[in-house]
Amino acid sequence: MPKCLVCYKWTLDEQDIKIKPEDLSLDASRAKGKISDFDRNAIEEAALLVEKNGGAVDALTYGTATVKQSLKDALSRGPAKVYWIADASAESADAAVTANVLAAAIRKIGPYDLILCGEGSSDMFNQQTAARLAALLGIPCLTFLQKLSGEGAVVSATRKLEDGTEEVSVTGPVVVSVLSEINKPRIPTMKQVLGASKKPNEEIKIADLGLKPEDLVPKATRSTVKGFVMQRKNVMFKESSAADNVAKLKAGLASEGLI
Amino acid sequence: MLASQLMTPALELKKSLNQPITALALSEADAKALAALGADHAVFLQSAGKWVDGFAEAIFTQVSKAAASIVLIGGTLRGKTIAAYVAAKMNAGMTTDAMTLKVANGKLQATRVLYAGLAMCEEDVVLPAVATIRPRTFLAPPAAAIPGTVETVAVETDARVTLGAVSPNGDTGVDITTAGKLIAVGRGFRKKEDLKLAEDLAAVLKAELACSRGVAEDEHWLPIARYVGISGQTVKPDLYLAVGLSGQVQHMVGCRESKVIVAVNTDERAPIFEAADYGVVGDLYEVLPLLTAALRK
Repeated sequence: MPKCLVCYKWTLDEQDIKIKPEDLSLDASRAKGKISDFDRNAIEEAALLVEKNGGAVDALTYGTATVKQSLKDALSRGPAKVYWIADASAESADAAVTANVLAAAIRKIGPYDLILCGEGSSDMFNQQTAARLAALLGIPCLTFLQKLSGEGAVVSATRKLEDGTEEVSVTGPVVVSVLSEINKPRIPTMKQVLGASKKPNEEIKIADLGLKPEDLVPKATRSTVKGFVMQRKNVMFKESSAADNVAKLKAGLASEGLI
Repeated sequence: MLASQLMTPALELKKSLNQPITALALSEADAKALAALGADHAVFLQSAGKWVDGFAEAIFTQVSKAAASIVLIGGTLRGKTIAAYVAAKMNAGMTTDAMTLKVANGKLQATRVLYAGLAMCEEDVVLPAVATIRPRTFLAPPAAAIPGTVETVAVETDARVTLGAVSPNGDTGVDITTAGKLIAVGRGFRKKEDLKLAEDLAAVLKAELACSRGVAEDEHWLPIARYVGISGQTVKPDLYLAVGLSGQVQHMVGCRESKVIVAVNTDERAPIFEAADYGVVGDLYEVLPLLTAALRK
């Protein structure tokens, strides 16, 4: 059975992020951390593969110091061990830097037969990590999977694309990215949460990855982040009589030239 | 063809960079079409391989050969996969699903969506840079005065991946992106048969049906082609009538450029009302038949 590694990101929960009305900037002060939604599916898929075929799965994460908050959560979801890189570079890291760091870590702790990622992170949703990792590691990638199985050395999957599905398979090491519909991530049981504290975690220092300084310099930088606020008329019809509301709506539609 | 739409920003960027446009296509017809739209040099990548993603390495080779400053790829799922692969091989930055693009201060400056639609940002990428662009962000430009050259190059595709069965969705003949009016249904409808209320209204309004992710992907009441949202279609109709749909950011990002948005929902505090021009607080089972009847008059 394949030796699996799942990569995950510790993100801010976008549901907790508020838009400040005065300047449309984002207020993330109340935002709690979470393992990115699609990464939870990746962790779950790896856990399911291991439960079916045996073996074990490792987890790997790269983030700022806050990444330490994720370790127990990740371990309670199936992985036997989690490797973590906590570095200030993660604050401004773009997809290129992230892939450089993860690939270097994988070269250090691997090799792995199957590397799993979510289709994108729930915050930035760049959707680049899996394909970048594959390019850097010199192995194929199968992205946007709705189904995955690993029988011996062969990884078979069904990709769900805009125009339909396609079945693909690879013999040998491969990177995959999974869709949220591939599975329903478990809610860890008390036993799994308690078991997590007994599982090992290992810090990897950026300095030990053999990266060049330019590998940690982002090529893409974000600025002018503004909350998107709709400027709409917000005309509300709340009469107790549905017929009255409908009449008013009809008038509104007519005034817009829609009917 | 999505690549035709990409010619529009490409022609703008060409003016800023004063560099020729090379277009890469997987069919000779597409290469000719792109040359006709203004690509200085169009290349048909010919291979026996059928797996589109398997062309990524060949595409990178052509990009290197052209010494491209900017690479534009259609933001389909395959496109994003190939784009990220190529970006990694180029050791370049990439902006995903750029909505606007220009060159400023020697960088590619793009705007894009963050946090599932909650925010927008500007993203600056040093050159050379890769950008993906979603369908219908741009319209294709008119035919060029002088078409570019067309060349055929034989390439190898990735032999490590075996392509098995391909199952197309089946052309339902549905393209909600061209509809002038849409009625979007959410899970306020209790069962599939109840969608008839929306269909009756659609008939009177001459509208098409659209839906939320849950209706298409979880309930399977409507085909995926009708699903509007961050992972579905983006639409800009004159009228977007959301019925029994809560209006979360992941859905609204797909319809927020609609000219007029109307909502019908029992929950006065549903986020859809903040995004609507007109909102009816009420039960769709009562409101829809009344609205259909009123519009028939």
